[in-house]
Amino acid sequence: MQWFVIFKKELLENWRNLKWIWVPIVFILFAVMDPITTYYLPKIMDAVGGVPEGSIIDLPMPNAQEAMMMSYGELGMLGVLLTVVIVMSTISGEIKSGVYEMILSKPVKFTNYVSAKFLSIMLIIIISLALAIGTAWYYVMILFGTIDFTRILMSLFFFTLYFALIVSIVIMVNTWIQSPGLVAFISLALIIIFNVLTNIYGHILTWSPALISDYIGEYLASGVLISELWYAALMAFVFSIVCLQFAIVTLRNRVLH
Amino acid sequence: MEINRDLILLLLPIIILQLILLSIAIIDLIRNEQTNGPKWIWALVIILINIVGPIIYLIFGRRP
Repeated sequence: MQWFVIFKKELLENWRNLKWIWVPIVFILFAVMDPITTYYLPKIMDAVGGVPEGSIIDLPMPNAQEAMMMSYGELGMLGVLLTVVIVMSTISGEIKSGVYEMILSKPVKFTNYVSAKFLSIMLIIIISLALAIGTAWYYVMILFGTIDFTRILMSLFFFTLYFALIVSIVIMVNTWIQSPGLVAFISLALIIIFNVLTNIYGHILTWSPALISDYIGEYLASGVLISELWYAALMAFVFSIVCLQFAIVTLRNRVLH
Repeated sequence: MEINRDLILLLLPIIILQLILLSIAIIDLIRNEQTNGPKWIWALVIILINIVGPIIYLIFGRRP
């Protein structure tokens, strides 16, 4: 019951912030940009000119899976950046402005507080991702070729788990520091370190959640769900829970003042 | 430069989304009494910078 009250408060706040409107739109724009510009690149170069007379430029046209992966790549970069920026002040801002003390002056469980925040943000992210991937899929179908709907659905599921990990990392950092800008910076640093480590030790860390988008690319091309993808998804899930638990413990040990 | 009718039709949803984003940012700017920094600069940013302008305003311009 208490959980639901906080959850509703978060939803209302996100609605007043207009996040429910602009986050999905921005995600859709991110996802759609790359496939369309790639498709029209030859025409754009024709129109802009500056190409010497008689020179032939042969740009390979990507197939449907590659075009879809462009969308995933864009969401994996800019989408993650946007997610970090959205979440950066969710707890730290409340601690700073005093709303936090007001909520915690009532007997609110920290578990309820953190999990309600996490789920309200994930709801926006999931809907935005679904809309963005759906729109990108629509354009890829028109411009490049067909991809099975089930493949899109499965890849969306795994991608959402990756974003759940990002959100919980940022929430964890939120409980350490009060300045939203610093929270964003440290979270991004953590995510980048995580990605770099995965890139260097990719042959050992085959279960790393940072590889999820790579595995999604393979899955879109082959249609076979390899076991590493499941393990990476499981790892993303476990790490999210651990990060949230860390956040709860940190908040519990914080002295109210 | 020849403008293709198909291209316009294809891009129409994106243009509409972009216009929604722009109008949301402008309405929010008018409705808010206090913003981070002068209002007229934000108005210029939102209108002149394509797509990115409204996003920057919605993230950094609003005062909590």
